[in-house]
Amino acid sequence: MHTIPMNRDEFLLEMDEILDLPAGTLRGHERLEELQNWDSTSLITFIALAESNNGVSVSPGQIVTCTTVADLLRLANAESSSS
Amino acid sequence: MASEETTLQSEVLKALRYPIVVSDILRQRKAIKRELLKQANLVPTRIAILGGSTTTEVKSMLELFLLAQGIEPTFYESGYNRYSEDVEFENPDLWNFKPIIVFIHTTWHHVSEFPELLEADGEVENRVRREMARFESLWEKIHTKLGALIIQNNFDLPHLRPLGNLEASESFGRVNFVLRLNSEFAKYARTHSRFLINDILYLSAQVGQGVWFRNNYWYNFHMALSPIATVYMAHNVAAIVKSVYGKSKKCLVLDLDNTLWGGVIGDDGVQNLILGRDHPVGEAFLDFQRYVKSLQRRGVILAVCSKNDAENAKEGFSHPDSVLKLEDFSAFKANWDPKPENIRAIAAELNIGLDSIVFVDDNPAERDFVAEQLPEVAVPNVGADVSAFAEVLEHERYFEVDKLVQDDLNRSAYYSSNAERSAGQGKFSNYGEFLASLEMTAEIGSFLPVYLERITQLINKTNQFNLTTRRYTSAEVVAIAQDQGFIALYGRLADKFGDNGLVSVLIGEVSDQTVQLDLWLMSCRVLKREMEFAMFDALVEQCQARGIRKIVGVYIPSKKNNMVAAHYASLGFTSMGGASDGRELWSYDVPASYSPRKRYIRRTADGLVVPLPIADNESVSSRA
Repeated sequence: MHTIPMNRDEFLLEMDEILDLPAGTLRGHERLEELQNWDSTSLITFIALAESNNGVSVSPGQIVTCTTVADLLRLANAESSSS
Repeated sequence: MASEETTLQSEVLKALRYPIVVSDILRQRKAIKRELLKQANLVPTRIAILGGSTTTEVKSMLELFLLAQGIEPTFYESGYNRYSEDVEFENPDLWNFKPIIVFIHTTWHHVSEFPELLEADGEVENRVRREMARFESLWEKIHTKLGALIIQNNFDLPHLRPLGNLEASESFGRVNFVLRLNSEFAKYARTHSRFLINDILYLSAQVGQGVWFRNNYWYNFHMALSPIATVYMAHNVAAIVKSVYGKSKKCLVLDLDNTLWGGVIGDDGVQNLILGRDHPVGEAFLDFQRYVKSLQRRGVILAVCSKNDAENAKEGFSHPDSVLKLEDFSAFKANWDPKPENIRAIAAELNIGLDSIVFVDDNPAERDFVAEQLPEVAVPNVGADVSAFAEVLEHERYFEVDKLVQDDLNRSAYYSSNAERSAGQGKFSNYGEFLASLEMTAEIGSFLPVYLERITQLINKTNQFNLTTRRYTSAEVVAIAQDQGFIALYGRLADKFGDNGLVSVLIGEVSDQTVQLDLWLMSCRVLKREMEFAMFDALVEQCQARGIRKIVGVYIPSKKNNMVAAHYASLGFTSMGGASDGRELWSYDVPASYSPRKRYIRRTADGLVVPLPIADNESVSSRA
């Protein structure tokens, strides 16, 4: 369990893993609808990790307003680029 | 085997081992699955998940933990909260799926009627009976119509307590009511084979209510468990399935110094060992010994593997506070040889596979060496703090059992007395003399209801002396026992040192005047005792009594059953060649006059020609 919230770069790497992409693939600008593995399982995983890593409770209602990966990072309070 | 276990050492898979790293599992589930699918010889199974809540996460996690046990599942998922309807109305998708296992994933949310406030005790009991009737009707239909084994969640506790602590004390309290239902579920499990409880009451307490149930997941996804809790539950269900498939471990190999007692016996002497209630660390060693002893009592074989002089090592068990005694160990290797060599020798001596062994040692270098040299052996990272050892073994669920039968309790005694048998062997001028001295008696007969659980257990875990490695569910075994179209024999063997229990099973399907042997197995405990001859004699007798003229033996080579490659040839069968599906077929013409092969075993019961009716309420209409 992380005690220090994840920053943007760390969370992007987490999202790479969640979406089964090579590390370093995601930059933030990618549109969610274009990501093949963005499905209900990865959505639940994102919610669980936002909570366990950054202590942020995210609802599906908030997620449906997101269009890009960067929007997800904002929800997870993982916008800062360095820790 | 080595290659598949080597794969399991992969970095990404460490998240699945204790301590489970839930966030890594959630994040890397696809990569983990990919790694696990690289294993050879995965055992296929079909599991229907009948959910009272959303089961997508359950399926995903269960798949990972089953693959980690070498079991490759295909799944059927009921629609949301259709766990009952799918069975009641015989959903054709479920029926066509032919599940081997049905997992009913219900939680306290699916208690249909909680008591009213201040309701009289009698009415509360009526509610318990109605609730049980609803579930029992579901279970019985699954057993009789689908022939599947059932894994049923008991109930977790409601997360809100409007009555506060009265919820637990008043009979109409919801906590009290849930515990009453759990007691009834347990009673059903005790009286019905093929019905196993997944104890989510325990799991929720272990994980913590605050992690187990989260409003966010319930209201948004109708997930009755949080994703984190789902990981732990899937781990638990996989352990149950593993035990059903006979993949639980059999033997615990233990280091001594700083593992079973504090200190080094060779340097400190027995009087200075840290063990006992008068020292905080000594108390932790004592409790670990008690835990090990409890495993031994329920049938786990114990062995010692220690770098020590043998006499010094043995002296440690004379410590007045030592709960474990020398006679609790079925194999004892205390010397200066490398531990992997000693563990190999222990496996050979006990006649068990390396993949049946768990090795516990406080020394990380020894653990790494054994893990690297013997990837089949489970080497938990127990650390160096004895107070955590038992917890690590518990969490890994190595020794999960689906049923405890008398033969399990006798197992340790058997392996210990086996050392006496081996010691006696040296006194004789030839092997026949030795066998005669054992004064062996065998009980061989058609399947009896009292033995069906043990028969199923043996069928699903025997790999070496197993001609076809064919697995049968409990339902199939019950059906075969009742079916005149089969010859189904069990064999028990005893000798002057003790009872070896039920050690051999043979199943043949009769067609016209031929019987084809779809299964023939024997526990490696009784290798080279001529028990296979005794079984063959009984088979021939049955064939003669039923007018069967020909026996067709089937051998399906596997990675583990090479020891029986020449079995049929040694019995005088003629090769019919190999079939296109990899089977080797052998033929034997039943003679009118037959001389028994066994020379050293006396039969105590005649083989019963007519299958007995099963005194169980679980008749099965079709084989899965």
